[in-house]
Amino acid sequence: MRGTLSVVVAAASIAISLGCATSAFAQDRGRAEQRPAKNPYEGKAEAITNGGAMFRTRCAGCHGPDAHGYLGPDLTGFWAAGGTDDRMFDIVRKGIPGTEMIAADPMRVLDRDIWQVMAYIRTLNAVPATAPSGDAANGAQVFRANCSSCHMVNARGGQLGPDLSRIGSARPRAGLHAKLRGTGNFIRPGYEPVTIVTRAGERIRGVRKNEDEFSIQIMDMRERLQGYLKDNLSEVRLEKQSVMPVYGPDRLSDRDLNDLLQYLAGLRGADATSR
Amino acid sequence: MRAVNVRVLQVAIVAVAASWTLAAQAPAPTQVTAQDLRDGLKNPTRWLNYGGDYGNQRYSPLTQITPANVSRLTAQWQFQTDTLGKFEATPLVLDGVVYVTGPLDTGWAIDARTGRQIWRYRRELPPGLIACCGLVNRGFGVLGDRLFKTTLDAHIVAISRKTGAIEWDTPMVNYRHGYSGTTAPLVVKDKVIAGVAGAEYGIRGFIDAYDANTGKQVWRFYTTAGPGDPGHGTWRGTDQKAWENGGGSIWVPGAYDPELNLTYWGTGNAGPDYNGSAREGDNLYTASIVALDADTGALKWHYQFTPHDIWDYDSTQMPVLADLTLGGQLRKVVLFANRNGFFYVLDRATGKLIRAKPFIQTTWAKEIRPDGRPMLEPNSVPSEDGTKVCPDQTGGTNWMPPSFSPSLNLLFVTARESCGVFFSWKEDYAAGDAYRGGAVQRLVDEQYSMLRAIDVLTGEKRWEFPYANQSWTGVLSTASGLVFAGSSGNVIAFEGKSGKQLWHFQTGSTLYAGAITYMVDDRQYVLMPSGTTLTAFALAAF
Repeated sequence: MRGTLSVVVAAASIAISLGCATSAFAQDRGRAEQRPAKNPYEGKAEAITNGGAMFRTRCAGCHGPDAHGYLGPDLTGFWAAGGTDDRMFDIVRKGIPGTEMIAADPMRVLDRDIWQVMAYIRTLNAVPATAPSGDAANGAQVFRANCSSCHMVNARGGQLGPDLSRIGSARPRAGLHAKLRGTGNFIRPGYEPVTIVTRAGERIRGVRKNEDEFSIQIMDMRERLQGYLKDNLSEVRLEKQSVMPVYGPDRLSDRDLNDLLQYLAGLRGADATSR
Repeated sequence: MRAVNVRVLQVAIVAVAASWTLAAQAPAPTQVTAQDLRDGLKNPTRWLNYGGDYGNQRYSPLTQITPANVSRLTAQWQFQTDTLGKFEATPLVLDGVVYVTGPLDTGWAIDARTGRQIWRYRRELPPGLIACCGLVNRGFGVLGDRLFKTTLDAHIVAISRKTGAIEWDTPMVNYRHGYSGTTAPLVVKDKVIAGVAGAEYGIRGFIDAYDANTGKQVWRFYTTAGPGDPGHGTWRGTDQKAWENGGGSIWVPGAYDPELNLTYWGTGNAGPDYNGSAREGDNLYTASIVALDADTGALKWHYQFTPHDIWDYDSTQMPVLADLTLGGQLRKVVLFANRNGFFYVLDRATGKLIRAKPFIQTTWAKEIRPDGRPMLEPNSVPSEDGTKVCPDQTGGTNWMPPSFSPSLNLLFVTARESCGVFFSWKEDYAAGDAYRGGAVQRLVDEQYSMLRAIDVLTGEKRWEFPYANQSWTGVLSTASGLVFAGSSGNVIAFEGKSGKQLWHFQTGSTLYAGAITYMVDDRQYVLMPSGTTLTAFALAAF
């Protein structure tokens, strides 16, 4: 009990950013623990077991159940390729802007949790297979001929599909391979294929940008952004098959595919020369 | 001397004139009494309690807005907080003024006719706050000319209804150990009753009563049974002191039955959330409803919905009191649509189970046996490699308040079908740190959210309206047969008996609270918080 007090809270302090206050709390908690340069849990049996369970629930959805990469990159070769504990900790804590790798909220994910997950991944540490080879220049040509009408790279190309300027950091080669050959089923949110039918009978195909109980917003195949009232539609059908065609061996030879993957793997951010 | 006398005389004349003017033009400022709180929504210009009335029915007697004219409902004003975060509060209304709390320990008095701010309250919060699920608050309680609220740093404060100034400020517990205050208080007679949140951080939950005049603590009930408490034997296993960090949060206020003088509270999950290996036993009184004597806090009865909870099935939903004719007998019951997926009807004098039926798909338990215990399904324990269980940890419903229409005997619940893969691991307790012992991967392809109407006499589903996105919206129903709920930013009006959608308005931000309704100047308003905006609706005047 602090006793009776009568404090009129000054309304003048409205301008103080409450958002900053939130992150300040987080920083305060982060500072309390001095981060070691090396993983203090490395090689500890219980930490590896716990870290494995945490990996399966928090990481495996993107990095694959064996950490060999699915939507997110293969992690098993991280240290062999020169990565450090400090670097991986930073990536997990801060995320990677422009990719689906989000920052770990300090309110929910403790430093200890991150170290335990890393102790687990470390047990999977593998020497990377010989670096994949391919003709990136030919891959770029294949891309221009087949992909750029829908995908943008460094501000050039179509916009029906996701921008691929950083796809080399965001996706492992195996994931891109699966997507092109039609064996991967992941569709990024905001690109779900949809067909709508108006009351007048017009069929419009595109990708869904947003939807609520009474309306849907899409980009149609000609890249027209448009919202529709469901009252004016006779059907809204979400489809499982991406609007991106499957590039089977009949459309894309193994060699061209390999060259395309070589090109895509090298896309790691805006190309300074194109600015 | 003479000058002073003249001044005294002037002041006296002004004072007399002022009091005459007041007497002639306006009623004296209202003092909210304990009887006013018992009267619930009888006076249609008021909304004085989080759940509307003490039974938390959120059922308004107002009938100006009807299924026939609701299509003319139009936005009248909006109020924006100029803060980040979101409203999770239910506003209170009295004498044409709205009182509402916002994120990061803020609060406002607002003109109920126009949305114009009258005063603003803001607490200086200490650094290092810990709150698992948002820096939010669920609203004020009121008595006399004071408002009461819990704070994110686990205090309870009394605020002047006239100015927003703090009148007393009592720490409930040390917030540095993971405790926070988010619930609206329940005011009963001369006491302000509230609890603490933080079961994701190894707290020991409790419900406290404070003297409304002084802020002095009157009683405390711990939601985990300690040594000497009945039920302490339900905390066994390798951790001898598991009860000390055993969870049992309070997120929303309880109900109150004045005749039985009992107050009913839903309690949160046991901690750590997903790993029960160190806390064998039922872990009383987590994931339960407790009936406490309002004067003393003594436990009259308890019913545990999820014994030995390992799925984060908090029972922090609203207990709803109703008088139902069941088997030809008028029964005083408490209705409880639980996060664990079952809808319960309990005798509120004894706590005896009358009926429990799933209102969504459940795979952790098949059914609730007549003795009140769940019949657990095999292979439903969280594990290192993951165990699929329905519903997921967000549950069949959550803290968003339902509404009960006694005229239709329907409970309207924001519900959700879902499944998740539950993982568990070993975690050591450290003060103030997250203490969950696992996590859940939600299976997004297997979920959908809806407004579901449950027939309280049979436990059967009467109708549902599927939402496009997950909804966190509370529900309001009215005597004219309307239901207000929503999703995806849409406030939606339904016909209560059929579920037919009659009207909607896109507010532009996600709804994390329920609507209220009140009369001012013979006009019925519906007030809905969304994001950091309040929107007031009324029938278009034509």
